[in-house]
Amino acid sequence: MKYHTRYNLSLYVLLAPFLSGIVILVLIPAALSLALAFTSYDGLSAPGWRGLQNFRQIIDDDLFRRAVANSLVFLALTVPLRTVVTLGLALLLHRSRRGIGLYRAAVYIPTVIPGVAYALIWLWILNPIYGPLNLLLNATGLPAIAWLVNPHTALPAIALTALFQLGEGFVVLLAGLQHIPDEYYDSAELDGAGQLALFRHITLPLVMPWLLLVIMRDLIASAQNTFTPALIMTSGGPYYATLFLPLFIYQTAFDRFRFGEGAALTTFLFLGVAALIAVTYRLLGGWGYDDSV
Amino acid sequence: MMTRSDRAMRQSLGFHLVAASITLLFAAPLVWVLAASLRQPGAPPPARIAWLPDPPAWSNYAHIFELLPLGRYMANSLLLAAGAVPLTILIASWAGFAMAQLPARARYALLTLAVVVRMIPITALWLPRFLVIKELHLIDTFAALLVPAWMGSSPLFVLVFYWSFRRMPAALIESARLDGLGALAIWARVAMPLARPATVAVGVLTFVQYWSDFINPLLYLKSETRYTLSVGLRVLQQMDLTSWPLLMAGVVVMLIPVILLFVLAQRAFWIEDQIGGVHGN
Repeated sequence: MKYHTRYNLSLYVLLAPFLSGIVILVLIPAALSLALAFTSYDGLSAPGWRGLQNFRQIIDDDLFRRAVANSLVFLALTVPLRTVVTLGLALLLHRSRRGIGLYRAAVYIPTVIPGVAYALIWLWILNPIYGPLNLLLNATGLPAIAWLVNPHTALPAIALTALFQLGEGFVVLLAGLQHIPDEYYDSAELDGAGQLALFRHITLPLVMPWLLLVIMRDLIASAQNTFTPALIMTSGGPYYATLFLPLFIYQTAFDRFRFGEGAALTTFLFLGVAALIAVTYRLLGGWGYDDSV
Repeated sequence: MMTRSDRAMRQSLGFHLVAASITLLFAAPLVWVLAASLRQPGAPPPARIAWLPDPPAWSNYAHIFELLPLGRYMANSLLLAAGAVPLTILIASWAGFAMAQLPARARYALLTLAVVVRMIPITALWLPRFLVIKELHLIDTFAALLVPAWMGSSPLFVLVFYWSFRRMPAALIESARLDGLGALAIWARVAMPLARPATVAVGVLTFVQYWSDFINPLLYLKSETRYTLSVGLRVLQQMDLTSWPLLMAGVVVMLIPVILLFVLAQRAFWIEDQIGGVHGN
């Protein structure tokens, strides 16, 4: 066999573990999930065909509607705000200067904190009696709020906690900003462009492809990262105020052993996220100059 | 009149003020947590924000290790991470290396696959993956927790290695091929030694992923002897919700290795021209 052929063949051997892993851990489970969505299955007896029954039942379920609404509100609260904050931080910290490493590390740190620890920290911060947030409010003369006990504040409070975990997007935007050649700014400044004009006509369009990536990734992450905080901080309460789709799927499948319904919910979640991504891409994809990615 | 250097200094001062307040906002909760973990358990709620309590109750840390076999849980988490890190680096770097070397068409197909898989919400895979793990009779084993390492733990890690290898001078690999070296030998002798920052970054992120993993242990583990630290913290929370100092001590125990690793390895994340190496080009 020729060296070249043999070489390419061995490249595929190096790829084999990753590819087989994707098949076993992602593709087959995804197909399995889709198939199960049309059955009733409790994990013990064999699955029985139910057609579209699961989907019909779910759509009529008030809890499902509540979970979808909560998840959408959560996305609407977190994704735009977090995108703006991330971009602001990246703009502030993308140039190399003294002490920059410390500042960047501080911004990234909440992102590496393990989910359970992060949720417990916030559970304490938001505690009406022992938590520092209300002590801070008291000190400024504001009334204490039982953040996680009040059905109106529980969801916004969890959204607030999610705001600080923006490290992944931050790093991507830093890289994006560093790819913009300084000459662009120099020549625009010579033409007398102000800071705002520089941002609108150079920075934003050039960083847009990165921003789009960050937004799409953030949509996916925010659609599922509610599980741990909701389970630890509120168990979905009070009065289902923080029942998000992932927690609802978990309860349906693993607390009540309704795998068929769980699979149908999973299908909904997947299609919902895909639809959101498609809409975002439609809305924002045309922006900016596309040559930089 | 203000001179040019005055203005520069003012601007720099302004920058550092803003950046320092952001640092405070993002890092202060950690200091609070540390302080909270050293309060006397059962003490009345503080009237105002207390920093280091006097005297600090270091015994809280000993106490949580008596309440729960946290030492065992910690060992389990460490064992899991210790298994996952090398496996992930091996599989992700192999895949990234192969992707970087393959002809354009195969390369783009694989890149697309990696990005698409990265976009699938993991929540959508809990249930079917649970059934696959069950069919493989891996429920209540470490293998069930280690299984994601099979696909390099995350397509992101494969992409990180891919980007890192693509940035290497092609001539290096070309000359190794002219010497008749095989793919595995080039990966080991030429590519990997030059991909140190990517390897460190993937290693750290993998450690954090498995050390922090909550959902997989929650789904797959049944025996308490196999619990990991994140499940242990959940148990601690459920034991007594009002004992904040003890719970925060548990949180600190879980945080220490992560923060330590991140601080030690952060050069691999931040050095200017390596940012592209780690996170894209």
